[in-house]
Amino acid sequence: MQEEEQVPWKIASHSGWFKWNLGELWQYKGLLNSFVRRDLIANYQQTVLGPLWIFLQPALTTLVYWIIFSKIAKVSTEAIPPLLFYLPGVIVWSYFSDCLNGSMYTFLHNAALFGKIYFPRLIVPLSNIASHSIRMGVQLLFFLLLYYYYYFTSDIVNPNLYVLLLPLLMLLAALFSLGAGLIISVVTAKYRDLDYTLQFLLRLFMFATPVVYPAAIVPPKYEFIFWLNPLTPVIETFRAAFFSHKPIHFDYLFISVVTVFVILCTGLALFKKRELKIMDII
Amino acid sequence: MSNSVISIENISKYYRLGKTGSGRLREDIRNWVAGFSKKKSGVVDSGIWALKDINLQIYEGEVIGFVGNNGAGKSTLLKIICRITAPNTGSITGRGRIASLLEVGTGFNGELTGRENIYLNGSILGMQKKEITARFDEIVDFSGVEQFIDTPVKRYSSGMYTRLAFAVAAHLDPEILIVDEVLAVGDAAFQRKCLGKMKEAASQKGKTVLFVSHNMQALQNLCTRAVSLHNGQIAGIGSPEKVIGDYLKREKHAETSQHFEDINTAPGNNAIRIRSVELKPGFLAGQQVIDIRTPLQINFQFWHIDVEPGSLIAGVHLFDMTGNFIFDICSEALHNVNGLIAGSCSIPGNFLNDASYYISLVFVKNTTERLFYFETCLQFDVEDYRKDTAWFGKWHGVVRPDFPVQLRPVTHA
Repeated sequence: MQEEEQVPWKIASHSGWFKWNLGELWQYKGLLNSFVRRDLIANYQQTVLGPLWIFLQPALTTLVYWIIFSKIAKVSTEAIPPLLFYLPGVIVWSYFSDCLNGSMYTFLHNAALFGKIYFPRLIVPLSNIASHSIRMGVQLLFFLLLYYYYYFTSDIVNPNLYVLLLPLLMLLAALFSLGAGLIISVVTAKYRDLDYTLQFLLRLFMFATPVVYPAAIVPPKYEFIFWLNPLTPVIETFRAAFFSHKPIHFDYLFISVVTVFVILCTGLALFKKRELKIMDII
Repeated sequence: MSNSVISIENISKYYRLGKTGSGRLREDIRNWVAGFSKKKSGVVDSGIWALKDINLQIYEGEVIGFVGNNGAGKSTLLKIICRITAPNTGSITGRGRIASLLEVGTGFNGELTGRENIYLNGSILGMQKKEITARFDEIVDFSGVEQFIDTPVKRYSSGMYTRLAFAVAAHLDPEILIVDEVLAVGDAAFQRKCLGKMKEAASQKGKTVLFVSHNMQALQNLCTRAVSLHNGQIAGIGSPEKVIGDYLKREKHAETSQHFEDINTAPGNNAIRIRSVELKPGFLAGQQVIDIRTPLQINFQFWHIDVEPGSLIAGVHLFDMTGNFIFDICSEALHNVNGLIAGSCSIPGNFLNDASYYISLVFVKNTTERLFYFETCLQFDVEDYRKDTAWFGKWHGVVRPDFPVQLRPVTHA
């Protein structure tokens, strides 16, 4: 019935570092769609609240942070209403860590599937990021609603034109998690015990990121190292764009872009090089 | 001939064994460090070549069968063709979409409904969304689960699950179909569907089928060409009859005779010494391997050196490889005879089912006293043979006699 041209293909013993067949990736966009649908549907099956959890997760986390870090520990929120201060950090951080956690298990969780059938393996981490992006989008909407409310009730809330950078900031977080996730997926496929270490490190990394505190409380001595974390400029720029409470560090933002680019390229190259070989050791 | 759809050039695949790739970082670092000194001392690390320098052209429209023992490299080759694992050397070029009938149900998600799983599974198998939509009704029809199409598949019975999964795979319509040991799984209906699908694919223009099975009968009937693999290398390519015949002769070397000339070292004891035992198949013209039609003759000779008088009985025990005791038959008693004695026993054709068998000989004195048990002295395989039948599954039963079963219509007055 369908008269499509027969797709020629070639299998060679050595895959190059950067031989990405983008045309093929595009052919499998339907598969990416299916995976995203599967993730979104299957995740909220048999839950009472269903997709409401997309809101509840950041809302509850923010509430806990508010009580612990703002009320009890009295960590500064730079005069920003605590809810609005924590929410960007929570959204960016959970987006990053969810994406990372999804892509770093690409091989371990899909070994059965990969062992039986071919499709571009990159579809799996990409679809993982896509489905988390949808969740993140919903959470941003929640933030904007809250922001809208405070906009009329509080005078500290005052946005500037850099809010337009928001998609770029989120893209930066996504690509960072993708790059790091790909590297980790290749390594953990071989060395399973790194898995535990990484979960621990990831938790530490959260506290090295200005999620529950402003970057300003970091002593100047450590400032440079602190800002090298690609997520620091992302969260700080997010806040600065929406509250105009301090200038945006474009220099650090630029470093972050470069870092993420390097990590992403490393991840993609390593993944491409190893995606088939890994199947022999998993 | 028609043009080639898959062209395999110098494909080799090496699997490392032992310590390398242990999955523990510490050991890998140690091995890696040791690697530097190893180069000087010239120690090579151990491993096996699952495939070695395979060159093969597969042409459009053929049904090509692969035979070989376990570990001969059949599955590795198919995995490389399917792009699941990478070869160490060589390259394969081809065109057209590849699908395998063993990927049935791959990627099904229990939480999703039948409908959603059809789309998910279809796209994993490489179908475009509009293709799936176009064939959706056909797939549902074929699976016979339309009532439950909006129920999560985790509530399906395993039969429904398999049917739905197979329905998706069957409507994939690939240019190259890979059928790997489907005859070993599933029930009769499933096998029939698989074979039906294969035949359908083979009869269509432009379709190519790669078929792996241990069922020689099915291979012979369905394939247009066969390839036999042995230790990762191609041992033969050609007509299925020739390749399969050679393969069976090479691999199924049965233990069909044993001879011992020296009475002092021959197996036995101070009452019985075995001189020879052999299995003589009564081949039909052109036959090379024992199949269910072949009559078998067992000949044996032994020295009876018992000094005390008494009666002697020799018995033949037949077992199949799973240890089932098929029969125990014995000779008439010989009284007070010493020296070299010959014995024989015939098993008619059309008696044993296809299986692997072994024979032991037993020597008994005065009906009860076991003198000697010559265990597992002969081994042989009985291959399957079917004239015309569409059924390629395992034929049930321990024996397979050719008793006629007759049917006749009954007319009522």
